[in-house]
Amino acid sequence: MARMKFYCDAERCIECNACVTACKNENEVPWGVNRRRVVTIKDGEPGERSLSVACMHCSDAPCIAVCPVDCIYDTIDGVVLHDKDICIGCGYCFYACPFGAPQFPQEGAFGSRGKMDKCTFCAGGPEEDHSVEERRKYGSNRLAEGKLPLCAEMCSTKALLAGDANVIADIYRERVINRGASVLNRGVSYQNAAFRASRGMEGKSSVKE
Amino acid sequence: MRPLPGTSTGVPPFSLAGGMMLLLITLLVLVTMPQAMAQAETEQNGIQVPNPSAELWRSVRQREGALPGRTQVQGVDSAMLINPYGERWRNFRMKELIPYGGYALGGMLLLLLLFYLVRGKIRVNAGLGDRKLFRYTLYERTIHWFTACTFLFLALTGLILLFGRSLLLPWMGPELFSLLASASKEGHNLFGPLFGVALLLVFFRFVRRNIYQKGDLTWLLKGGGIIGKGHVPSHFFNMGEKSMFWILVLVGSVIVGSGLILVFPLFGQGRISMELAHVSHAVTTLLMIVVILGHIYIGSVGMEGALDGMTTGYCDLNWAREHHAEWAERCEADGDVLDADEVSQRRGETVSGAAVSTRESSA
Repeated sequence: MARMKFYCDAERCIECNACVTACKNENEVPWGVNRRRVVTIKDGEPGERSLSVACMHCSDAPCIAVCPVDCIYDTIDGVVLHDKDICIGCGYCFYACPFGAPQFPQEGAFGSRGKMDKCTFCAGGPEEDHSVEERRKYGSNRLAEGKLPLCAEMCSTKALLAGDANVIADIYRERVINRGASVLNRGVSYQNAAFRASRGMEGKSSVKE
Repeated sequence: MRPLPGTSTGVPPFSLAGGMMLLLITLLVLVTMPQAMAQAETEQNGIQVPNPSAELWRSVRQREGALPGRTQVQGVDSAMLINPYGERWRNFRMKELIPYGGYALGGMLLLLLLFYLVRGKIRVNAGLGDRKLFRYTLYERTIHWFTACTFLFLALTGLILLFGRSLLLPWMGPELFSLLASASKEGHNLFGPLFGVALLLVFFRFVRRNIYQKGDLTWLLKGGGIIGKGHVPSHFFNMGEKSMFWILVLVGSVIVGSGLILVFPLFGQGRISMELAHVSHAVTTLLMIVVILGHIYIGSVGMEGALDGMTTGYCDLNWAREHHAEWAERCEADGDVLDADEVSQRRGETVSGAAVSTRESSA
C-alpha cells in the first residue's frame, strides 16, 4: 500500500510560487486561505534556500490527535483529510500542526473561525468522489482520477515531489548521491562547487596588452 | 617491560635495549606527527562535503519561531516553517491535561462525597429559628448568580470541548456531538467576555469585606472548624470565603485574560502565544472548577442555612451566630435582628427596590 508524501527539495526550489498559485486555482480555496506557501530562509544571505510547504500528511498527525470532535482522519493511502460538516472551527489543529497547514476563513464577527481548510493532497473529502458538494468544500479530487497533486505535477524544477513515499525517498536519495559524487569528482567543497567546476579563467582577459 | 617470573632479583637482561627502542619509537612519532596531521587536514579539506540540507534544516529547526523566513503568503506566522511547540502542546493536551484534569475533577467529586459521608451535613446546633439577619442585597445576589450562571455555563461548555471526544462522542455519534460541540464553542466564546464583566462587578462589590483581618489566621489554624466540633468566630466573610474570593479574582483574571487572547484571533497573536494562552487557560480553569465544586458543596448540601443568604438575602440568626459570630454580635448590638414577619414584609419591599440600605451597616 502506498503512503503518500510531499517532499520539497530545497536545492531545486526557485521560489517561483507556481505551486501556491496552482493549488489556489485547482482547488478554488476560500478567500484568505492559502493551502500551500513558499518560505525562504536566509533571504538575500549566503545559503538562501526556499521550501514549499503545505499539509505534510503526517503518519502520526498531531491534528488528528487533538481535534475535539475527531473530524480529521487519514485514508488508506496515508492522506490526512477532514470532514467540514463535523469541524467546529476551534483552531486546535492549527495550534498543534508544526507546519501551520490548517487555515481558517474568517466567518463571523471578531475574527471567529469558520470551518478549517487545508491541503487535501488533491484527494477531496469524505463526500462522494467528484460530487458537487466535494468540489465546493474541498476542491479537486485528482487522486480519484489516478493523478497526483497539481502543485507537484507542474513544479518546473521538480523540486516539489509528491507520491508514494518509497518512490519519493528513492528519487531524493539518488539526487543526494549524485550531488555528493559530483562534488567529490571535482575535488572541491560543496559550497565552493555550487554544481559548477572551475573554467580555468586565471590570467585571462578580453584585451591583451 | 614487566620482569619475567624468576628473574625478580637483579636487572632483567633486555630492559636496557627495550627502553632504547621505546624511546626511538616515541621520537619517531613526535617527529612525523605534525606532518601526518597536516596531510590529513588537506585531505579532509578536499573531501569535506558540508551537506547544505543539513544546514538548511538546522537553521529551520533552531529558529524556534524567533527568526522566521520570508514568504509571499500573507498571514500570521506564515513565514514560520516549523513550529516545534506544536508537538509539545499536543503532548500537553493529550497526555497531561486530559488525563490529569480528569483525575483532578473526579478526585474532587470523590473527596466531597467522602466528606459528606463522613461528616454529613453541618447542622446549625441551635436549630434554625424565626429570627433573621439581612446579609446580601438584591444587587449582590444578582451579580453572584450572574457570575455563577456564566461560570457554570462556561465550565460545562469547556469541559465538553475537553472531554467530549472521549466521553460523549462514542455514544452520541459524530453528527450530534459536532452540533453540541459547535454550540459549546460558540456559547463559550460569547459568554466568556461576559464572565469577565461579572468578575469585575463581583470584585468591586465584595473586595472591601474580603480583605484579610485579625482572626483569619486563627480560623485557618483551626481548619475553619472542619476538625472538631467547635465553630471558629469570624467576620462577615470567614477566612475560607475570603480565600475563595481571592482565588476567584486572581485565577479568574488569568482565565479571562488568556481567554481573550484565544477568543479574538485578530490582533496578530501567533501560534506560540495561543498555545501558551491555552495552557494557562486550561490549568487555571480546572483549578477554578475544583475550587468552585467545594464552594457549591459547602453552600448547598454541605451546610444547613448557608444558602439562604444568597437566595433570599436573609440568613438565620442562629446560623450567623455559629458561623460568623463576630458579625452576628455586631448586628445584634446594632439591633438589626429581624423576625419572620419583618422579613416577609421587607422582602416584598426589596423586590420593589426600596429597602436595600440596611446591610450597608454590616460592611
